[in-house]
Amino acid sequence: MKFAAVKPVSRVLARELAVTALLLFGVSVVVFAILYLAPGDPLNVLLEGQSPRSELALGMREALGIPRTWYGQYAAWFGKMLQGNFGNSIRTGLPVLPELARVGVYTLTLTLGSLALTLLIAVPIAVHAAAHGDTAGNTAATMVAYVLSAVPVFWFGYIVVYVFIHTFGMFPLISGTAAKQEHAWLYFLVPIFVLGVASGTLSEMIRHLREELSRVLAEDYIRTARAKGAAVWRHAFKEGFLIPVTEIMSAKIPFLLGGAVIVEQVFNWPGMGRMAWQAAQDRDFPVIMGIALVAAAFVRLGNLLQRVVFTAVNPRASRE
Amino acid sequence: MDAPLLAIENLRTYFYSRAKRAFIRSVDGVSLEVARGETLGIVGESGSGKSVTALSAAGLVTAGPGVISGRIDLYSNGARRNLLDGLENYARIRERDGRVMEVEKDERGWRKRSETLMAGVRGKEIAMIFQNPRSALNPYSTIGKQLMETIRLHTKLKGESEAKERAIHWLERVRIDSPRLRFDNFPFGMSGGMCQRAMIAMALSAEPSLLIADEPTTGLDVTIQSRIVDLLAQLKAETGITTLLISHDISVIQRLSDRIAVMYGGTVVETGRAAEVLAPEAKVRHPYTTALLASIPSAETIRRKSYLQAIEGEVLDTIEVPRGCRFYGRCNRVTEAIRENCAGSEPPLGEVATGHKVRCWLYPATGKA
Repeated sequence: MKFAAVKPVSRVLARELAVTALLLFGVSVVVFAILYLAPGDPLNVLLEGQSPRSELALGMREALGIPRTWYGQYAAWFGKMLQGNFGNSIRTGLPVLPELARVGVYTLTLTLGSLALTLLIAVPIAVHAAAHGDTAGNTAATMVAYVLSAVPVFWFGYIVVYVFIHTFGMFPLISGTAAKQEHAWLYFLVPIFVLGVASGTLSEMIRHLREELSRVLAEDYIRTARAKGAAVWRHAFKEGFLIPVTEIMSAKIPFLLGGAVIVEQVFNWPGMGRMAWQAAQDRDFPVIMGIALVAAAFVRLGNLLQRVVFTAVNPRASRE
Repeated sequence: MDAPLLAIENLRTYFYSRAKRAFIRSVDGVSLEVARGETLGIVGESGSGKSVTALSAAGLVTAGPGVISGRIDLYSNGARRNLLDGLENYARIRERDGRVMEVEKDERGWRKRSETLMAGVRGKEIAMIFQNPRSALNPYSTIGKQLMETIRLHTKLKGESEAKERAIHWLERVRIDSPRLRFDNFPFGMSGGMCQRAMIAMALSAEPSLLIADEPTTGLDVTIQSRIVDLLAQLKAETGITTLLISHDISVIQRLSDRIAVMYGGTVVETGRAAEVLAPEAKVRHPYTTALLASIPSAETIRRKSYLQAIEGEVLDTIEVPRGCRFYGRCNRVTEAIRENCAGSEPPLGEVATGHKVRCWLYPATGKA
């Protein structure tokens, strides 16, 4: 009987993965269409200073083997993508996929690290407030969290840079090269701290977890748990903690990625956000397409995690 | 009366209404005794304070200020424990004319103190079943797991397999069909009646000394209600467990109780042996009990297609408690001789016959009490 719960989870997983594939296809079409319709031509970057309408540009196109029609271009990209080839960056000439993997690790560190930090701060405040009601301590903590969440993340980032790095000189300015220095992990903590505290996820997480947990704590079955002398948290954990936390995490991943673009700019962090920024400036189509797909996949992954947890935990969902 | 198992003395449980800036005197000086092995039925309209009395006894009142005075003695293993021990250190009351005017309570402190007092009592000595059994069971856990949790917490059976055997044994005892299959069911897959049977199994599996059944038939289909009542009666006969039964349904009370306490406006207005209090020919009876009995559809009223007798007036709102008898405003048996008393001062709960007490100026106590 223990395995009964596994089957629906795998069913949900299969369905969600199929949806993800469709969605990624849709994303690629939409992003491609936007890029195609947007002004600017990537060849401009290669032919800096020269007239794009010149014979040279045409010859370049021919040489690179770029199809003339938009559907030809998309089909060419799509065909290669299915084979795992996302093309080469127009600016650097490097293959997109390995580059994405290289910078993706930095972005993943930044976003997951900040998510962990958000959890670390939000959970104690929310749980305390749900269990004990408003007290001076948790009200103050919630207020501070709300203010930090309302502050624009780039501004907070600059303040942190100014105070800790400029005024106190506590950390050297961070960049990818910091990884080779001593105590490198310390420098990595600053952007993680900025994104974790000021991305807006913090207040949402406190609010959602607190509301859900206090609702669950008032449920009849929690009274039953108390009446039978059992530990309340064991009964409240699934509905009052696990589900709301995964819900808010999956809902906030897009915002975190958006915040990461900004934080990476502020801290010179060699991640996907900065790469996306640069690629957008250059109209570097293969890179933009690659980043859009990876970002979409990441967001979907969050949703997937939430669906799987919900299905595994909720007996109603697993016996539809 | 036999040796008591639970003795509630002058219990007061108040709630604060922010909207009305006043106390809701839900339970206002209740004294009750439940003798070992008997079933005491508490009956009354909604808002009479019967459920809050039960929740107070189980230490499950969460809203503030909650229990503010009284004592609840539990006699178990040859010792007496006051479940409200030290309450006066946490709740300070200011009274005027025997009426509570102000309460200062350290609610968090008392909650902690109460949890220590109730440790080893709740679930083990006092088990409880509730109304709306579907929402009272944890929807995220199987029936079997919830039963096993109680068994492993409160009995000597700590092992997985022996606890499971015992759980299935209890599911059989509450007459759940195919208990081995039901063991792995989640509450949502079961009917309300099944859920209540599972709740009863869970409560009894701890082998408690007292079972508090708080409106056990409320929220169930009418046909299921009588089955649950039958089950409670059967289990009572088999186990002899002391029961505190709370219901607004006087027919449920009638079928299960040895003794009855009738509550009105947060106080007990009549108590005595069930047969005596509910006897159709009884001469001495509180006017409220009379009115309650008259409101039950009987074969006679149904045959004559006559209207049911509703009790005139509204249930006493326990915020503005009158100075006199709490039932005075709705009472139809006030005579000129006693009117002044009825309006001016609350009657005592006087003993009118052995073990039969009535709170009414019509029946002066026989003097013994």
